[in-house]
Amino acid sequence: MTFIVPIGPQHPALEEPAHFRIEVKGEEIVGVDLRLGYNHKGIEQALSDRSYAHGLYLSARVCGICNSTHSLAFTRAVESVAGIECPDRARYIRVIDAELERIHSHLLWAGIAAHEIGFTTLFMLFWRDRELSLDMRELLFGHRIYASGTYLGGARVDIKEKDIPQLIRTLAKLEKSVKHYIDVCTSDRTIIARCSGVGVLKKKDALELCAVGPTARASGVDFDIRRDDPYAAYDEISFDVIVERDGDVLAKVVVRLREILESIGIIRQAIDAMPKGAIRTKFPENVPENEAVGRTEAPRGELMYYVRSNGTNKPERVRIRTPSYANWPSAKPMLVGGTIAEIPIVVASIDPCYSCTDRVTIVDAETGKFRIMTKEELRRLRR
Amino acid sequence: MNVDEVARLIKKYADDVKIVGARHVFAVTDKERYIEALTALRDNDLKHLTTITGVDRGDIVDVIYHIHCGESLLNLKLSIPKTALEIETVTDIFPGAILYERELMEMLGVQVKGHPDPRRLFLSDDWPAGKFPLRKEAKK
Repeated sequence: MTFIVPIGPQHPALEEPAHFRIEVKGEEIVGVDLRLGYNHKGIEQALSDRSYAHGLYLSARVCGICNSTHSLAFTRAVESVAGIECPDRARYIRVIDAELERIHSHLLWAGIAAHEIGFTTLFMLFWRDRELSLDMRELLFGHRIYASGTYLGGARVDIKEKDIPQLIRTLAKLEKSVKHYIDVCTSDRTIIARCSGVGVLKKKDALELCAVGPTARASGVDFDIRRDDPYAAYDEISFDVIVERDGDVLAKVVVRLREILESIGIIRQAIDAMPKGAIRTKFPENVPENEAVGRTEAPRGELMYYVRSNGTNKPERVRIRTPSYANWPSAKPMLVGGTIAEIPIVVASIDPCYSCTDRVTIVDAETGKFRIMTKEELRRLRR
Repeated sequence: MNVDEVARLIKKYADDVKIVGARHVFAVTDKERYIEALTALRDNDLKHLTTITGVDRGDIVDVIYHIHCGESLLNLKLSIPKTALEIETVTDIFPGAILYERELMEMLGVQVKGHPDPRRLFLSDDWPAGKFPLRKEAKK
């Protein structure tokens, strides 16, 4: 006989809400159902009610952690519909912005993963070093989190020569720590016991379920938008796409940590190759009727914006496909066959990024049946 | 697959094949051929469906399948009239389409026939039936 264990929408393991209905037989997970939409903000619709210049700021607010890559993907699509190219210097600024974001996002995730397996010391160390990348975002772009260095037709701010030595020193510090963390994560007994062979996503499933980013690359899928559909200055920079074969949580840890080293290398090359010159071209007020797709490799994987313009200063339709959304179908094969105790780390291994509110699930203890209370019922209870 | 190879492959199943920039292909197909087209893509080892986009264009709804083709991206468009808003599921070809089709159903009211799990995805349970937030008429 199976039981349903409801987890979430609010839960101690994750900072953001999603509701899982985990079907268990004893300790073993035999089925998973997922409920999303607790903080669907209607941004796609809101973007078509705003001008392109306004939309840029709204797109950066789809996700706090990935703001640079969201505004970059939006800009990439909008620049294609308008048929304009940004200056060379801006292309390199965009790369530096995006890679600093990847470093801070991966370290943030690594910290959360360490926290999920109860390794608090490592969590503190990861987050201590994440501060270095946040300081660099503040130094170069004026904000620790909301750096968003991209602007329609170029970059929002220029990178000053005087800040570069500090950036280079910080990258060296980060490189040293991350190399140490890779050694720790591949040799420490606690980490291996909790992560190795846990939450495996097979390559076949990753391909079929269209997984993206580190989740797919940890399962042997060689897929990175920076190489496959290059944007900004990625086509002029050499880097490796990190792929691991095992598909377990440990592989996801290793992929992300090794990607940080690649990001450091990318930033160094971008600093060296960055030409002098203008950082912005004029963006037209009205955009002729057209359609285009802009993709970027966000820290969590392929991010896609589809923009359709209609001759005015507002888009007709904007479609956003975020990487976590693409990775949810993969959560099922990763959880099924595992145990309840593995749920937090396996769910966290996708690095899910989503947002919040609403209802309550009532589970009848005797029959195991459940139903969800509506907002109206909750309102009546409150009176 | 590069853009020229993709354009050659899709020509049989689509009209108005356009190559945009170095990596993107746009093509327009129809209800008779789109399942064949997607099956042919899958059989050529193009297994990554990036997403499905629905666009309300007044009397018609455009459904666009974005397929990652290695070095390029194919955007395959299918226009369906609002009077018969019905398409076949593609989850048997691309299992990863499962959530995108659910979103298409609840946001634009496109009926996806044969979908294995046609529940709502993002909208709340007490959202009125027959009201689709991304339709033009929903703005009023």
